Amino acid sequence: MLLLTGINWSKLITTENINSAIRVIVLLGLGFPLLLFICTLVGKAVKKRFTPQASMLIQKGIFYSGSILLIISVLYQMGFKLTALLGAAGIAGIAIGFASQTSVSNIISGLFLISEKPFEVGDLIKVDDTKGNVLSIDLLSVKLRTLDNQLVRIPNESLIKNQVTNITRFPIRRFDINIGVAYKEDVSKVRTVLLDIAKNNPYCLDEPEPLVLFLNFGDSALEFLFAVWFVKTDFFKLRNSVMQEIKERFDAEGIEIPFPHLTLYTGSVTEPFPLEIVPSKAKKPKKPG
Amino acid sequence: MGALDIWNRSKIGSGEILRSQIGPLLLWFRKIEDELHIAFERLPEPDTIVDATGPSAVNGVESEGLDWGRWIVGAETNIVQVLPIMPDRPVVVHPELPVNIPTGREALFFVSIPVWVRVLIGEKKPIELCEVPVLILSNTWFGDPMSGQLCYSLRSRARRQIKDSETNPSRAVCPVKIRNNSPRQLDIERLCVHVVHLKTYSGDKNLWTNEVTITFRGDDQAGKIDYSNKRPAFEPIGEMLSEARAPIKDTILKRSIGSFRLISGM
Repeated sequence: MLLLTGINWSKLITTENINSAIRVIVLLGLGFPLLLFICTLVGKAVKKRFTPQASMLIQKGIFYSGSILLIISVLYQMGFKLTALLGAAGIAGIAIGFASQTSVSNIISGLFLISEKPFEVGDLIKVDDTKGNVLSIDLLSVKLRTLDNQLVRIPNESLIKNQVTNITRFPIRRFDINIGVAYKEDVSKVRTVLLDIAKNNPYCLDEPEPLVLFLNFGDSALEFLFAVWFVKTDFFKLRNSVMQEIKERFDAEGIEIPFPHLTLYTGSVTEPFPLEIVPSKAKKPKKPG
Repeated sequence: MGALDIWNRSKIGSGEILRSQIGPLLLWFRKIEDELHIAFERLPEPDTIVDATGPSAVNGVESEGLDWGRWIVGAETNIVQVLPIMPDRPVVVHPELPVNIPTGREALFFVSIPVWVRVLIGEKKPIELCEVPVLILSNTWFGDPMSGQLCYSLRSRARRQIKDSETNPSRAVCPVKIRNNSPRQLDIERLCVHVVHLKTYSGDKNLWTNEVTITFRGDDQAGKIDYSNKRPAFEPIGEMLSEARAPIKDTILKRSIGSFRLISGM
């Protein structure tokens, strides 16, 4: 109350101040809705011509620039001297900069990410163990929507430092399956069956041609690499269908997929492992005492 | 009804069931009040089936296990039509035997391409309801893995004479003329036909598309592709059945021929 009674209201409520207040209200009341309207219009106009990332950047650029202009205009109407304000902002900027090194690092990393374009909005990327679609590339972080519909925020700095895999950058991909078959199986037959599976699967591309590579004489199996090419959008359909078809065809053709096992060698190829049946000794009852 | 009369309009009454066969594809239509139900099924061994019938009434015969789709078309709308249309992606044709064209020569091939069937309803301004491929072709990639194009794959005999080919109402014959204007022999292992730019015509015996001329000018230059606006002149041609999906007027420059050197990168 003392504070309010100390104010000289007659000096404060002048025609000039009332006009300034009206101008500020009009600026804020019309300025922000107009800015949002312009952003929406521009967004619609650039959506078809540019990538989602570019159109998002254009929209954000317009919004932030417009907001800064609006705030400067409002401050000017309120009677603030902009030169003094900018000077103070510079000093404050240095202080804030020292205090927020991580944020500044993220901002600079964000600028690098935008210029380097290792991925764009909509791409499916993998960072460490996290896999998801890029929702937005912002100044401080990149937001991902994971495949099980969670939001993950990754600071730009860690994206610059760590390895990032862009899974959907190119239109087609290769799906590699490691398969082991029993040593008794006919290698040519395995190869023919696998190529036939690829030929009849609607999601496998004819070209680039599917690949069957005899990799190794493994501990428990002959090891093959079966690699098929597919359109990036068909990943789940391809993975499910090919894996199922391999199991079904191998069962139908009598090709054994062995589990890891160990063979004990007794020192002779033909002779069986020598086993001796030892009669169990009955326990003698303990003598009392 | 002749083999190529299948593309006529048919009337369907409420409660009636029509069936149409286009090669290995069976199309079923069922009208219930203001709804039209459509189902399709594919017959086994599709390459050997050349039978075709337009939508005609079937009495009490209904294939079991059909997966019907429903369209709300209105009680008065009772005219059904099926039309052939070219596939929605380019088709990469693999000739059974590789073809070589020496420098300065040209050759005409007749490529038989399985059509898609477009179902329309209505009399004055027919409305498109759905499309279905007569034969499901496998997918393939034409060009570089980073910037190529998704296409359908088709094995073809790439006949030189049209009299050799058997009439098949589920396929459209596309005349492809290849000119070799490059200084070296052209080895064709595969050929990409951009069928989305092709119209379909009803011929005396076959379905036809407009003629395509591909001029090969060397590995380092894109091929020149011309799509003729005239009707093909290899047999008497009737009306145009369907417009191209993506009509084109000018010559386009694209890589259309895959030679051994392009595949292997030698």
